[in-house]
Amino acid sequence: MTLVAGVDIGSTTAKCILLDDGRIVGKSLAPVGVELVKDAERALEKALEGAARERKEVQAVTGTGYGRFKVTFGQYTLTEIGCHAKGAHYLFPGTRVVLDIGGQDTKAIKVSDRGEVVDFAMNDKCAAGTGRFLDVCAGALGFDVSEIGPLSLGARHPVKVTNTCTVFAESEVSAYVARGKDPRDIVAGLYASVVSRSLSLMQRVGVEPELTFTGGVSRNEGVVRTLAQRLTLKVNVSPLSQYVGAIGAALYGLERAGNPSP
Amino acid sequence: MESTATHAPSFLNTAREQQRTMVEEYYADLAKAGGPKKPVAYMLVGGNLTEIVRSFGYEVVFPEIVALNCAIKHVSLPNILHAEAQGYGLDVCGYVKNDLGLQELGGETPFGRIPPPDLLVCSFSGCYVYVKWWEALAEKYGCPLFVLDVPYMREPEVQAEDRTYLIAQLKEFIALLERITGRSFDLGELRRVLVQSRRAEEGWVRYLASGRHRPSPIEAYFEAVFYMFPINVLRGTERAAEFYATVNTEVEQRIRSGQYPVPEEKVRLVVEGVPPYPSYRTFWDFFRKWGAVSVAATYPKVGGLFDQGFLHDPGRPFESIADYSLAAYVNQSWPLRRKLIADYVRDYQADAVLIHGIKSCRSFTAGQGDLRDWLIHDLHVPTLYLESDHEDPRYFAPAQIKNRMDAFFESLGPRREGGPPPTEGS
Repeated sequence: MTLVAGVDIGSTTAKCILLDDGRIVGKSLAPVGVELVKDAERALEKALEGAARERKEVQAVTGTGYGRFKVTFGQYTLTEIGCHAKGAHYLFPGTRVVLDIGGQDTKAIKVSDRGEVVDFAMNDKCAAGTGRFLDVCAGALGFDVSEIGPLSLGARHPVKVTNTCTVFAESEVSAYVARGKDPRDIVAGLYASVVSRSLSLMQRVGVEPELTFTGGVSRNEGVVRTLAQRLTLKVNVSPLSQYVGAIGAALYGLERAGNPSP
Repeated sequence: MESTATHAPSFLNTAREQQRTMVEEYYADLAKAGGPKKPVAYMLVGGNLTEIVRSFGYEVVFPEIVALNCAIKHVSLPNILHAEAQGYGLDVCGYVKNDLGLQELGGETPFGRIPPPDLLVCSFSGCYVYVKWWEALAEKYGCPLFVLDVPYMREPEVQAEDRTYLIAQLKEFIALLERITGRSFDLGELRRVLVQSRRAEEGWVRYLASGRHRPSPIEAYFEAVFYMFPINVLRGTERAAEFYATVNTEVEQRIRSGQYPVPEEKVRLVVEGVPPYPSYRTFWDFFRKWGAVSVAATYPKVGGLFDQGFLHDPGRPFESIADYSLAAYVNQSWPLRRKLIADYVRDYQADAVLIHGIKSCRSFTAGQGDLRDWLIHDLHVPTLYLESDHEDPRYFAPAQIKNRMDAFFESLGPRREGGPPPTEGS
């Protein structure tokens, strides 16, 4: 028995995964606040509680995400780029490209057949095209971001929305609302904007099957559908897609626990 | 876990002290220069004509170097904001805005007062913004402006017609200087200045070539920048020539004593692009934490591709000045720049390439995305592209840059060794 934990402190949520001999036995997900060390500890405790395991059983903790250095009780850190590659390979071993759209980042990661990072590209400076982008624009439409997923299904004439600046996009959405545009068409325009920006990042690393879509935005079925329509290849999405970084972190800890010398 | 304690980078102590003194004295002398006693020529680093103006008794000011000194001392932003308040847009080059803002604010810097120009020599015309910059200064100060029209290097060798074209312009330039100064051109004096230039250039080349050692005794990007000042600003003086003798003696001592830029060299890099001067130390620390050392870099060659054989020659004064100007790194076509970088990767046994693009300069940065793709896809050299700015601190996002660098260095582990990636920190 080798129990390890991966704790992913992202810009929006903290995720934790527990692996026992490489099998997922516990998980947790909660919003992050300003006290990241406590958020990280709570994420681990919650996952342990759900799995009915104890802290002393955990042989390695790996932190990842922007807040990885706040996982102060852990032994290892690895960037979320490396972790998403590992995690996606674990869930879908045929993965060669990972598209991760989180709260503030979009990443395209090219992955080797062993789940190692070969190349990656990320959005620069602006959070346009990320989860925060959808959050802000959903707000301008009077919705919560969790409500807009399937809204685009009934769209007939999707509008065009910029993908270079979140603030400008929000203004555009407000202008479309003022002009009486159908919210379904606006949401479809938002998804097209997100996907178009993601495609340009994926093209930088090279698109090839299989593509695995991870991160919070992969939970949005409208974005997944739009992505699948634009690409001519299958898009893997796991029910655990928000946990992929934490899974990768836990796997890294497992490798290290079995082979402690760097 | 990441090592939070980062030791200060090591320098060549004697050389660093000499360099510091030379910089201080240079700026102190500048504050006294200007006017009829010692006229001041403003010049651009790329393809500069320092030797010719020095032979006419001018002191030389490089506003690009003043600007980078402002940036590294964290005083560039007020100058930039002042230029923006004058109407220069966000997309205008940070060097230009630093200088024009500084000029409007009176030229005072923490390292001395920069005197106004008596002569403007636009020695690099490959950047149209630079030509406009010099025109703005000419309008402000009403001083003569000479624009050297330098054709891009299209072939690895200097083309005879380009050389002839440059030499004709050099003769025009000398005639202008004779008219302005009332002095006759002294070929003997030019040759004497060129002798010192050649000595400094040979010393500089020797220093840069030491990056071929494993481990490298030099940091060819971050550390080399500190030793660039004499080759760019004081070239043609005996002092600059002596300086590189000191530098190389200390490098040899480093090799003998086994004291290297990082305790353990884990990654050998070729670096392309201008450094983010406002966050210089932070950026350097991001490398050092991973045991990454630049073994070769293109930026230290912006003042001259001396290591490619374009050295000044007192025996061929005009021909060698023309060749030097034509072959300036910023004047190289993209295929030549790409080849140079690929050669550095091979000759310096580098593991990867890091490209730092700057928002300020589209002419220098525009092809860097293609360069990245070419290195990765055609040469299979791991390459990371980062972007911030060389002058404007508002464009350096430390968390994002660090995250990309950490991910890149992590990924180099399995690619180089076929094993698990290294734990961050050293």
